[in-house]
Amino acid sequence: MLEIKNLHVIVEEDGTEILKGVNLTVNKGEIHAIMGPNGSGKSTLAKVVAGHPEYEVTEGEILYNGEDILELDPDERAHLGVFLAFQYPVEVPGVTNKILLRESYNTIAESRGREELDPLEFDDYLAKKLELVDQGPEFLDRAVNTGFSGGEKKRNEIFQMAVLEPKLSLLDETDSGLDIDALRIVADGIKKLHGEDDAVVMITHYQRMLNYITPDYVHVMIGGKIVKSGDKDLALQLEEKGYEWLESYASVNGEGK
Amino acid sequence: MSKPIKADKSILHELASHVQTAKNSTLGNIRENSLKELNSTRFPTPKDEDWRFLDLKPITRSEFHPVSEAGIKPVADAEQYFIPESENSRLVFVNGQYSESYSSVKGLSDKVIVGNLAEHIDHPAAGKFLNKLAVYENDPFTLFNGAFFEDGGFIYLPKNSRVKDPIQILNLYTDSEKPFFTVPRLLVVAEEGANATIIEDHIGTGDNKYMTVPVSEFKVHSKAHVHHVRTQRDSLKAIHVSRPATYIEKNGEYHSYTITLGGHLTRNEPMVVQEDEEVDFTLDGLVLIDGDQIADTHSILDHRFSHGESHQLHKVVVKGNAHSIFNGKIFVRRDAQKIDSFQENRNLLLSTNGLVNTKPQLEIFADDVLCSHGATIGQLDPEHVFYLQSRGMTEQKAKEVLTYAFALETIENIKVESVHQLLIDEVKRYTTTELTKEVVA
Repeated sequence: MLEIKNLHVIVEEDGTEILKGVNLTVNKGEIHAIMGPNGSGKSTLAKVVAGHPEYEVTEGEILYNGEDILELDPDERAHLGVFLAFQYPVEVPGVTNKILLRESYNTIAESRGREELDPLEFDDYLAKKLELVDQGPEFLDRAVNTGFSGGEKKRNEIFQMAVLEPKLSLLDETDSGLDIDALRIVADGIKKLHGEDDAVVMITHYQRMLNYITPDYVHVMIGGKIVKSGDKDLALQLEEKGYEWLESYASVNGEGK
Repeated sequence: MSKPIKADKSILHELASHVQTAKNSTLGNIRENSLKELNSTRFPTPKDEDWRFLDLKPITRSEFHPVSEAGIKPVADAEQYFIPESENSRLVFVNGQYSESYSSVKGLSDKVIVGNLAEHIDHPAAGKFLNKLAVYENDPFTLFNGAFFEDGGFIYLPKNSRVKDPIQILNLYTDSEKPFFTVPRLLVVAEEGANATIIEDHIGTGDNKYMTVPVSEFKVHSKAHVHHVRTQRDSLKAIHVSRPATYIEKNGEYHSYTITLGGHLTRNEPMVVQEDEEVDFTLDGLVLIDGDQIADTHSILDHRFSHGESHQLHKVVVKGNAHSIFNGKIFVRRDAQKIDSFQENRNLLLSTNGLVNTKPQLEIFADDVLCSHGATIGQLDPEHVFYLQSRGMTEQKAKEVLTYAFALETIENIKVESVHQLLIDEVKRYTTTELTKEVVA
């Protein structure tokens, strides 16, 4: 589904290289976790896959279902089924959750050749999705993320994911800022949404999210590269030992930090 | 027939030769005094601090004719501008002249007066307040209006009267063969405990050039509440220089929302004066301009007594080559303690050729006050655009939605449903159209 080959990325504004040759393959049905210290490039990787204009790819490629998507705008990637749950979701005063979702859902449906839902059908559809994140209907009439607590913003990201039914979900620190109860609700939501036709890539600092969602693969990113990959046990090792023991891997090629 | 007047810096003075003798003594006195003062008041120049950002050439390099000599074309389909909520509380002025046939005031209780000034010029409230409130120092435009006006809107709200329906003052400007000038006038007197909403519209029905110089005066007595919505949808060639002045007595409230959409050159100078303790007022504004539009707001919030609360949110969106100017004066006089005043000017600059000047101006002479102000000029946050794009919206659509969201805050408090909806539609129209395409080299 997603193949990232030797990806090098710089910040367009000042030319700083953030990603220094990332390789990653994600197949459908899989859950991947990407862990690593602050500043290692995890969030950048997610944003680049979603098409953030701040970054420029200088080398390598991103293939989505075998197609190069580097030239596509973020909305075009969304139409193909790419979804990014933001680490810091944006407040959009004046636009309610419902208006945003109807706009998004119908545009995406249209591009996938699905039927648009009329307002009544859409209301029913939303009601079911609300249950997933344990929110009442008033959630729909609130302006997007405006005045939301950190936890509500993260729930809203997962709610949007539930409504838009992406094929590839990139969850950027969706677990941060959540209390234990909210974490469980969000994790349960993600588990229910995940099936054999879609893939999830979770970026996280902590093991605690992985207690609820068992990843098929765990990758460690340091200094702009994936330095080690393994199964769920790797996350447990990281919890115990930190990242220091892996830093030698990062500098093997002399490119690490 | 007099000759058309070739305008120069003293265009207002030259046009004043058209002033005729008034039939009524109240008007006659105002006219005579205004003319006299006008003749000793010079036209502003960019050297004057309050005019330094504004290019006045659209006024000085033009010629304007009296309405009677401008080849006025009839108004087409005036009904489309009527607010349904004001079906029985509407005054219509066409190029400054009262139109009895378009007006409708049959739905009001008999003590409330919604009518034209000429008919009510001998009303005690008119004698007491007309031309007494719009006091703008060294301002030839107010005097110009004073020298010319013969009629206007007159609203008298007796003690404890509550006008349920909003009152619409509809100023229509029609197409014409030659550019004309007109001086709309409005006097609103709300007695103790009265309550009303007034919608003041200025709408150009053609795309012709004209100059309108409206002066409005509001007297809000003790415990009276007045909501005032001003929408400005003049033709894109029009000059609009307005002077809305409001005086508020003890426990009075005045909340105004000015939406500026039209006009080539707009200069609006709202002034609110606190006349006693415990008043509450709002002076919000939304300016959406494009093409070669120039919109200048110079406001004055004058706190003269203790315990006053005031809010001013002035939002501006600039596209094309448009130019916005904001100067927000807040005075807190020496004995005006416990004032809580808030001013915010936020500007969204969407084009490389647009221009924004902003100057908050707080002059505080009391020591126990809470005054905050802020002014920002910015573009849409790329992170916000990306967020909406990642949800499937095109870049264009994302920008439209964010611009709409930016503008919406200022019209949320307008409670008249049809006006609220009309403004939402106008904001949408603004975000989805462009008057000037930016040239990409």
